[in-house]
Amino acid sequence: MDSIFSVKDLKFSYSFGSINIEALQGVSMSFEKGKFYCLSGPSGSGKTTFLNLLGLIEDVQDGDIEFQGKKFKSLTEKEKNYIRRNQIGFIFQHFNLFPVLSAEENIEFFLVRQGVPKSERKQLVEKALKDVGLWDQRNKRPLEMSGGQRQRVAVARALTKRPLVIIGDEPTASLDQKTGKEIVNLLKNLSDEYGASIILSSHDTMVHEFAEELVILKDGRLSS
Amino acid sequence: MIFSLAFRNLARNFRRTLAMVLTIGIGTGALLVFKGFNLGIMNQYRDNTIHARYGHGQINMKGYHNSVYEKPWKHWIEDYNSLKKELESVKGVKYLFPRVSFFSLLTNGEMNISGRGQGINGVNESKFFHTLNIVEGKNLSDEKEGILLGKGLARALNAKIGDRITVLGTTVYGSMNAVDTYVTGVFHTGSKEFDDSVFRIQLDLAHLLLDTKKVESVSLGMKGLGLWKNIEDFVADYKVNLESIPFPILDKVYYQHSVDWLDAQFGVIQIIILVIVVLGIFNTVSTAILERRQEVGNLRANGESSFEVLKLFSNEGFLVGVFGALFGIVLVYTINISFLKDGILMPPAPGLTRQFHVKIELQEWMAVQTFIIGVVTSSVATFLASLRVINQKISDLLRSV
Repeated sequence: MDSIFSVKDLKFSYSFGSINIEALQGVSMSFEKGKFYCLSGPSGSGKTTFLNLLGLIEDVQDGDIEFQGKKFKSLTEKEKNYIRRNQIGFIFQHFNLFPVLSAEENIEFFLVRQGVPKSERKQLVEKALKDVGLWDQRNKRPLEMSGGQRQRVAVARALTKRPLVIIGDEPTASLDQKTGKEIVNLLKNLSDEYGASIILSSHDTMVHEFAEELVILKDGRLSS
Repeated sequence: MIFSLAFRNLARNFRRTLAMVLTIGIGTGALLVFKGFNLGIMNQYRDNTIHARYGHGQINMKGYHNSVYEKPWKHWIEDYNSLKKELESVKGVKYLFPRVSFFSLLTNGEMNISGRGQGINGVNESKFFHTLNIVEGKNLSDEKEGILLGKGLARALNAKIGDRITVLGTTVYGSMNAVDTYVTGVFHTGSKEFDDSVFRIQLDLAHLLLDTKKVESVSLGMKGLGLWKNIEDFVADYKVNLESIPFPILDKVYYQHSVDWLDAQFGVIQIIILVIVVLGIFNTVSTAILERRQEVGNLRANGESSFEVLKLFSNEGFLVGVFGALFGIVLVYTINISFLKDGILMPPAPGLTRQFHVKIELQEWMAVQTFIIGVVTSSVATFLASLRVINQKISDLLRSV
């Protein structure tokens, strides 16, 4: 199977004045296309840092990540923006929807930014909202929706971008167990349909059960 | 959609947006009022200058205005009647005020005071020079033997309205001559040197005293401000070598310097107002943007460049600027046609003893200019405030709550 990410000896540290915290201490692994990964590990193990590096949210310090044959270290800011906009979809713990836009507009916004024509946009948004079961809620703004509904919108928004990979940092942490399970189930089914890989971080064993591969981090290293 | 998002973001926190709109509105309104007030003062001052002493300008023999002669009458206009006939046919000319000036001795039988006389056409001048500051009696009009005294001169002569004053002078041929007058009024310009020495009598009486029919200069009252060019063209083509001098040059020390001074002052105040508006907006927008760091992080994580995020915030600043500037302009126009309908009552200006009203004279170009300034200021302040946030790392932005 082709790999989507190839991570080689990845190291990352944070500096707080004179204190240096090594969040990742030489991680090497490959993520295969179309597969569902779950990063797990105790707090401070480096899960979020690893996801941020994969999603081009943090710059690589040491080691490198290869994505679709391109090494992150050699990317220009313009190339990074292109990958973030077109090839990676994000799902956040706190949903990060635009509060002033409706569910429909939240999904459409990034399609507009991708330059998708209006007629195609409308079809994609309709399909996504129907897929996540929120077509009848399309005109509601995030604050008028429950946490589960908001996360469904976030899932729909991430998928409609047609990304190669969806990265989610604790996407079920703000939801109850039942809703969380629904969301992950939905995400798994839809990513199969949309052909996107999934990399989530989660402490939740329920999420682990859905993963095809569980990646455990401990003190910034892969744990066997 | 970016623009729509910007628009809706403004509605997100109504009170904050209102504070921003009010900041811009009050700043824009203050600029507009100040511009209108400045123009009102300038126009009032210009009208006062024109209608108190100088008219729209004067004509004299070429070089006369800037020269000093032992026998000035030798350089006066010889044939005023033909000049008058031709000047009256120039487009825009409403009044002609032939004048002479001369040195003489004023006596009331008890004391003698030297003074500078002006021979004028009282009837015409009293119609046009209505802002001459008369502090006692009335302006010289059709009183053939009337004399109008400067305040200092009247005080020195202890002259009252109706008192007889004899004006002693020298004819242009060098012999002594005298004419009898009576006091019709006292004027006060605020220029001590002028008020202590100048008096006015009828031109015919002055011609009698000086034994000449020449005129020293012809002041002109035009139908409109922009018509002085016609006089310049006329003088350039006239058979006699004349020169025309517009009122800002005749009254350079008071009028033109005041205009320049007020303009400079306005420039400084405009900068101060703009700095206050920029700081006000910067502060409000900074708070608003800091609260939206996670949203910025989301945008950046989804591929929006720093520049595009900056554009989003600048659009919001632009919209606030448009609403604020429009609000300020409408507010000022409304106040101006209601509360300030009669203008603002001002204390006496230099050279005057009476209070006067200055109207806020608003013009379209001012509204357009202040609107642009308001919008640009708001956009710049928003841009500067946004720079602080958009340069942060995406991970830091996403982490912020």
